[in-house]
Amino acid sequence: MRSMLQYMRNKLVNISREDENTLLAYGVLDDDLYSLWIKATISLSNLEILSIEGGWNRFTTPECWRAIAPLQEAVGLRIEPGMRQNIQKAVSRKACRHFANILLECCHTAKEAAALMKGERPEKAKDVPERTKPVGEEATKEISAAPVGPREGVAERKKVKKRAVRTKPSGGTVIDLHVHTSPASPCSSAPVDELIEEAKRIGLDGICLTDHNYVWDPEEVNDLRQKHGFLILRGNEITTNQGDMVVFGLDKDIKGIIKLEELREEVLNAGGFMVVAHPFRGFLVFNVGQIGLTPEKAMERPLFQLVDAVEVMNSKVTEDENDFAAKVAEGLGLPSTGGSDAHEVPEVGIYTTRFFANIKDEKDLIKALKSGNYEPLAYRSEYLEEI
Amino acid sequence: MPRITCFSRNRSTSVEDVDDQTLRCTCRLQDTLMEAFVEITVGLPDLEITSVKGEVKQANDASCLEATDFLQQAVGVRVGPGMQKIFEGLLGAATDCKQLIFMLEECCHGIILRFTKDAVEKFPADKEEAITYLSNDVKKHIRLYNRCAAFGPGSRIVEGIEPPHSA
Repeated sequence: MRSMLQYMRNKLVNISREDENTLLAYGVLDDDLYSLWIKATISLSNLEILSIEGGWNRFTTPECWRAIAPLQEAVGLRIEPGMRQNIQKAVSRKACRHFANILLECCHTAKEAAALMKGERPEKAKDVPERTKPVGEEATKEISAAPVGPREGVAERKKVKKRAVRTKPSGGTVIDLHVHTSPASPCSSAPVDELIEEAKRIGLDGICLTDHNYVWDPEEVNDLRQKHGFLILRGNEITTNQGDMVVFGLDKDIKGIIKLEELREEVLNAGGFMVVAHPFRGFLVFNVGQIGLTPEKAMERPLFQLVDAVEVMNSKVTEDENDFAAKVAEGLGLPSTGGSDAHEVPEVGIYTTRFFANIKDEKDLIKALKSGNYEPLAYRSEYLEEI
Repeated sequence: MPRITCFSRNRSTSVEDVDDQTLRCTCRLQDTLMEAFVEITVGLPDLEITSVKGEVKQANDASCLEATDFLQQAVGVRVGPGMQKIFEGLLGAATDCKQLIFMLEECCHGIILRFTKDAVEKFPADKEEAITYLSNDVKKHIRLYNRCAAFGPGSRIVEGIEPPHSA
């Protein structure tokens, strides 16, 4: 017997020709939660969105109506490579992700229609050759993979408020182990010099540059160290099939998605250290508890057998998610680290790691990490106050 | 002159509970040129993709007519934030058929929305109570701030709440 459907979403897009050079895309998205529509006119010659209007039939919050006006942000966008990112930036955050979803569908469909009209597509679709059959019915794997991904649109940089160190933890070395700079991380808006100056100003002892799949040139980092008179270390946040890993002591430039097992081998060969970043970064309107995930169950994930430590303080996740990670790390007896995951200057130092040893360079850092003698700190909230 | 549709697309995504520990999500696409479906099963509580099926019945894009075995690389990935990047990295190198990858993502979004539905059912019916309820949610999960227009500056939901990262 078929089980009852728990959720359904239907999307319909129709493309018609307004005039010689204009397509009209009409899209409807209707699911258990939302019902909305979009009408967009698109230039046939350059596939530019010329106008857009939209409306709600059903929505979830009393403020969803606010999504209609910002739809105009999409006017002028072109259906070309990068369109998805552009629509996400212009519509998803400023208006609503569901409008962005149906607009994207309209754009994909309009592109197909335009290609068909221009004779770039065969008028008759091809049937699939006999060999292409459904596959994968039996396929299962035991590995799990932590969801990770692209950072959402970076908000406009805010003015850094003046702060003063109230009581810095005494002894050892306080380092923000997880920061992103611009342009090394495309999702960051923090120029490295500004980030370093802010880290100095709030009293950190050092920062570790962990840009996404980016290997900093040691000479360049040394120059920054000299220029600012500040401890600057190198790391790398690498996306694997099982989530983001912050690695230290690995100079190999890894591009694309690597399997966690392969990364583990690289790190071991390099004598480095690997921390699983924000392992329970989750959802916005429901939490891990809702799907029945417990720390005990989470500890069984194979990925925890392949990492050296767990990031239990990260400013891009909720406190509940950080607490959950801390419970898992504690349960597994793995060391815990903290890092801001800063993508904007004012974020540096939100969370840090306090090493009980003195750290002067990357060798010291690796040695200290392997010793397990450190603790995560909520640095900004615990040690700073506004002046 | 009557304005006749020159291209149409229907996409339907549905989620069902197979048992207490398994969800199944299917995305079906039919448009003027293409007909395809992708189906995933997801295990609870990890939301890990445990199986993937894909079939293209017809398409004009030659890359979509090739075998869909590449979808198997999604097995083991967990549904959640950032999966798009993983899918593009894992599967994008194996195929030029972006439509099938998109359908896989749509399945995963379906799984998330299935749980979102449970959460939304708890919203109070009264408008003022709903604002208060959602406002408390933002305070608890500050990442919601500026997530969309409803949670952005000017919205009553975030009134009086300090934007993140300036604290």
